[in-house]
Amino acid sequence: MMKTRLKWAAGIGAAAMLLSISAASAKTLVYCSEGSPENFTPAINTTGTSFDAARPVYDKLVQFERGSTKVVPGLAESWTVSDEGKTITFKLRKGVKFHSGVNNFKPSRDFNADDVVWSFNRQWKEDHPYAKVSGGKYDYFNDMDMPALLASVEKTDDSTIVMKLNEPNMPILANLAMDFAAIGSAEYADTLLKAGKPEQFDQIPVGTGPFSFVAYQKDAAIRFKANKGYWGEKALVDDLVFAITPDPTARLAKLRAGECHFMIAPRPADLEEMKKDPALNVINQSGLNIAYWAFNVQKPPFDKKEVRQAFNMAIDKAAIIKDVYLGTGTAAKNLIPPTLWSYNDAVKDYPFDSAKAKAMLTAAGVTSLDIDLWYMPVQRPYNPNAKRIAEMMQADLAKVGVNAKLVTFEWGEYRKRAQQGEHMTAQLGWTGDNGDPDNFFFLRGCSAARPGGQNLTKWCNEDYSNKLNKAKASADMAERTKLYEEMQVIEHEEAPDMKIAHSIVYEAMRKEVVGFKQSPLGSHEFQGVDVK
Amino acid sequence: MYLQDKPLLMIKFLVKRLLLTVPTFIALMFVTFVAIRLVPGDPVEVRTGERGISAERLAYFRHELGLDQPVWKQFVDYVWQLLHGDFGTSLSTSEKVLTEFFTLFPATLELALAGMLFSIIIGIPAGIVAAVKRGSWFDHTLMGAAVTGFSMPIFWWGLLLIMLVSEGWGLTPVSGRIDMIKFYFEPVTGFMLIDSLLSDQKGAFLSALHHLVLPMIVLGTYPLAVIARMTRSSMLEVLSEDYVRTARAKGLSEFRVISLHALRNALIPVLTVVGLQVGSLLAGAVLTETIFSWPGVGKWLIESIARRDYPALQGGILLISSLVIIVNVLVDVLYGAINPRIRHAG
Repeated sequence: MMKTRLKWAAGIGAAAMLLSISAASAKTLVYCSEGSPENFTPAINTTGTSFDAARPVYDKLVQFERGSTKVVPGLAESWTVSDEGKTITFKLRKGVKFHSGVNNFKPSRDFNADDVVWSFNRQWKEDHPYAKVSGGKYDYFNDMDMPALLASVEKTDDSTIVMKLNEPNMPILANLAMDFAAIGSAEYADTLLKAGKPEQFDQIPVGTGPFSFVAYQKDAAIRFKANKGYWGEKALVDDLVFAITPDPTARLAKLRAGECHFMIAPRPADLEEMKKDPALNVINQSGLNIAYWAFNVQKPPFDKKEVRQAFNMAIDKAAIIKDVYLGTGTAAKNLIPPTLWSYNDAVKDYPFDSAKAKAMLTAAGVTSLDIDLWYMPVQRPYNPNAKRIAEMMQADLAKVGVNAKLVTFEWGEYRKRAQQGEHMTAQLGWTGDNGDPDNFFFLRGCSAARPGGQNLTKWCNEDYSNKLNKAKASADMAERTKLYEEMQVIEHEEAPDMKIAHSIVYEAMRKEVVGFKQSPLGSHEFQGVDVK
Repeated sequence: MYLQDKPLLMIKFLVKRLLLTVPTFIALMFVTFVAIRLVPGDPVEVRTGERGISAERLAYFRHELGLDQPVWKQFVDYVWQLLHGDFGTSLSTSEKVLTEFFTLFPATLELALAGMLFSIIIGIPAGIVAAVKRGSWFDHTLMGAAVTGFSMPIFWWGLLLIMLVSEGWGLTPVSGRIDMIKFYFEPVTGFMLIDSLLSDQKGAFLSALHHLVLPMIVLGTYPLAVIARMTRSSMLEVLSEDYVRTARAKGLSEFRVISLHALRNALIPVLTVVGLQVGSLLAGAVLTETIFSWPGVGKWLIESIARRDYPALQGGILLISSLVIIVNVLVDVLYGAINPRIRHAG
């Protein structure tokens, strides 16, 4: 009797020891995120928070290299462009497995072309069985003009997808690396549909990505575990936890206390102190965005290039960066941020020179001028306080004899009216989607200058627009780069707008976190990241 | 005679009280419904950024959501839906509003109960001592502290405590409901204290309790101040009553006089105040939850406003308000039970 007991005790002791060893060696990375995802299907989401939450689970046909905007192979091993840029043929990776065991789903087959067709058709075809599931709003698919660009997406065999386009368009490759183009499991979708629970597809995600989904506790935490058989760059930790912490001060406190390893979006006011903290590592990069002040060239005197140039010189940009951005912005001279390929650093920004601006205005026949100056009623990622900027501009303009009246509307209304071209001058900005320069430069193209279009300057320069279209159709990177560089020179000279700033995005982590690469796209990826 | 009447009177009183809440509910439904629609930006447009949304797509989604109907029609439809027990579906997550609410509500309730308990356990004895030792240094300190507690902005107080107690002294965790690195289990009841016990994971309960301390203090501070002040003044009033003098004259010990004769009567107004604090606790929970990353309904409502998630917001506010109303009715009933005069008057 005694012996058996001892045996039992020894057994339990050994088991406990084993358990504690495995518990000690299991590595967890805790990421203090800023909010709750709407769900886990990127195609129906629009926020970075939701994209970050789904990204560990999913792969796309092509993807952005971690820490850059370079498009590299993903679930498609390679692709060829033919038919004068109107057909792209993707060769799919073989042997890629979907996560097994999530929501009791056991995949019976590997990833193949059916999954790709399924994922695109859900967003595209109204008769798709999932078209209306979870609200059925595929904002990004529509915003990126996919219905107009795509002629067909077809499977020729299990590992080949042929994508036909209505016209040559190379930026579409960058679109395919965006989150909305994530590839889900058609088999999982069918299983759920048969069980009468299709909405679970968007709540309990099954993908092929570096982490598999474990659980989501609403507004508290999201848990993932490493996908050990992942085909690409592997997860170096065993568990990944998103600790949802909306308040930035609480996030920092948690980071300092070691309750999380990584935090998103520190408060600008905390940065100085954080940089001094030996336990923390703070990194930054300019964000994929631009804040600008558009001059409506259809309204005199902004039809005159000299007037627009003079306005560029009348404003003290450095003061705006210093007083409004408080260290979280950098002065902009081109439409694209310096992290994007084809950024033309040779362009020299207009100097701040009130006297010269005034002289230029007089030379152009403008002696006393009343303008309206629109500012957004809301904070945007690229502009912390449009009203304050407008006030500073107003003061600078008064010095050159321009009387500016500040105007604003409710945000939706503001956007609509400005796109219609009702303003004389208006502030706005842009956040890039896919890291392709076209995604910025189209903002000054002729087709966007139509009433209701995105080009708030309504400036339509033939040379610029031709180059824009040519670059879009070319698969030659060197050629595209050259065209974009030239376009930046034209735009600088013509000055349809004044570029204000690109934001600076900060990320903070504990010193023991290694391998994180800040993404110019603002995404957070944790494969390849370790806790030492 | 009186004894036979008692249950009947009680029921009559209760029915009357409940009937009185009906117009309140209707007004509430209407106000939430209209108020959120007066805020500029609708659920479809609020999702779009610089790019905006095409007129066709906007019209399509507005139609899908029924937003193209006249507001009175939308309201009638909503009330009809409510009468069938359907609170609608969240526009941002596509989940049933009722499901979302009850997933998150236990966290709020756990926090509110803890805050309430904290304020009662400390507030009532403190108030009594202050009243008994009126004019002493204790009385002055307590009343000074109560005024501070009364006027303290929750956000500031919460962050201050985090910086001092968690970051500075390392005594409590910063935020969350449990140590996420060490413990993980599926929620059963939604109450972390209970779930951690059920989980059988060693140390989980203590971790949950540890996480509750700071938010409990922050949320409990305001009601604590109110309760302490109320107890003090109510106690002072009662202590000067004739029956207390009589009790003392009978030679009862001071303890018996205070705890049996004075306290029982002094607690009646305190009870009302406690009932009224339910509203302020839930309001305070909104901020406390945000500071402490506490996954409750307060934080959820704030996010629903930002997302213009009409069904979630309407449903959430209605459910919370119902709760406040119900608690207040219960307090009235309890009050009636303690003090028969009220029942008769009613």
